[in-house]
Amino acid sequence: MTSVPQIQVFSVEGKAGGELPLPDVFKAPIRSDIVQTVHAGMAKNKRQSYAVSVKAGHQTSAESWGTGRAVARIPRVSGGGTHRAGQAAFGNMCRSGRMFAPTKVWRRWHVKINLNQKRFATASAIAASASQPLVLSRGHRISSTPSIPLVVDSAALPDLAKTRAAVALLKAVGAYSDIVKVTKSKKLRAGKGKLRGRRHRQRRGPLVIYDPANDGKLLTKAFRNIPGVETCPVTALNLLQLAPGGHLGRFVIWSSHAFKALDSIYGTSTAPSSTKKDYSLPSAQVTNPDITRLINSSEIQTVLRAVKGGAKSKRAGGQKKNPLNNRQVLVRLNPYARGYAAAKLGQAKYKDGKPERAHVSFHDVLKSA
Amino acid sequence: MSASSDLLWELTRQNSSFLVKRKTGGGVRLSRDPLNLRNVHSRKAIGVVPSEKGGISLLTKRKNGTTITTSYKPSKTSRKSYLHITNSTTKKNYRPDLRGDAIARASALVKSYRKPVKPTPEAQPRGAKAKKNAAAAAAADL
Repeated sequence: MTSVPQIQVFSVEGKAGGELPLPDVFKAPIRSDIVQTVHAGMAKNKRQSYAVSVKAGHQTSAESWGTGRAVARIPRVSGGGTHRAGQAAFGNMCRSGRMFAPTKVWRRWHVKINLNQKRFATASAIAASASQPLVLSRGHRISSTPSIPLVVDSAALPDLAKTRAAVALLKAVGAYSDIVKVTKSKKLRAGKGKLRGRRHRQRRGPLVIYDPANDGKLLTKAFRNIPGVETCPVTALNLLQLAPGGHLGRFVIWSSHAFKALDSIYGTSTAPSSTKKDYSLPSAQVTNPDITRLINSSEIQTVLRAVKGGAKSKRAGGQKKNPLNNRQVLVRLNPYARGYAAAKLGQAKYKDGKPERAHVSFHDVLKSA
Repeated sequence: MSASSDLLWELTRQNSSFLVKRKTGGGVRLSRDPLNLRNVHSRKAIGVVPSEKGGISLLTKRKNGTTITTSYKPSKTSRKSYLHITNSTTKKNYRPDLRGDAIARASALVKSYRKPVKPTPEAQPRGAKAKKNAAAAAAADL
């Protein structure tokens, strides 16, 4: 096999120093369909049940008046002395009636997701986070980022306690333009969510993945007040953070310890995972996804028959060229044209004014015949 | 890390931050990618495969995916800027297929920078008309 690609490690000051081999998770197949279904399921699993009151619309002793009163047979509120008396009740079409198909708390709120699918989706999302075009197409601003995947040396991370230092780190590795994007994107949420603790909506920034065993947890406090930045321990990666909205290509900043730990957490192409029981990484069905390369490969081209009828686009007698527009054709017809043009005879002015006009008799002779 | 451009296109075809979907124009799909020369969301033109932009500043992609911007001074002739583009891209075997698009874009940019032409001077009457005008002016003076 080919050699393992090496990924540069950047210091907290943004200087390149050392390299790390790319973990095998990054070779997992990128399957947006799996990521989307798993994301849809996972996003549902945080929901809380809600429903209208079971009594709503039924807290009246309304009875139908029956036929013969020239009103609809809908149940009507009994009694008198108030406007409510005689008004229709219960029906979903009635004012202060029950809603149609009242919501129940026993709706199916949560979705079971197969564990292997979840792991597949996570591995897929990790692999996609290492693809610069996908991170760009998710909308992250990474033009000044030196490399994707971006790995930051863990050496200084255990002492990274202040937000100021965290901002300096983000600036050093060219991730700050993504934060600026997040800050600018903050908007008031449309609708009732404003009253329910979701007042603003904003874009997502970079995701900082650290190894809690070696990097410590201090950095989570340093990063938590920077808009859009999220932190996540490498041991508990979350698809909702790796592919927000089910869209692949989150901008991830790895600590070098977390990056190294990926091989043991997800396993390699040869070794199973050491933390997940009986888990080995999914492998791509097609080793070469480059379709053009496949079609043009000698293996396929040798078994294909020749094109029938030859190239159709060729013109039978050659294309007719206009000598007035095409100089080469003009020269072929009139070899003097080249010398004529070179001497600029066409543009030459008369030396001694205009030639004299012929005598009137010349005209008469010419026309007389 | 570079995934196959076929795979990337499949992943970004339906959904991308650069994609602009409009119901007008028969559901036109455009692209906001600065590397997209024709601004049309398509397999070839998508910015995930390297492409370049013409005009005064030329964007090209390195192997590792980072973008380089080369700026050229506004030149007098549009042909000079085409030469810049072809010299730094097509002649270096960098996406020769996009040369036409790049030059078309550069051409449009150069055209947009052009200042409006001088207003046409009023026509000077000549011959019989001029004589008549002069006579009229002389008559008016008297």
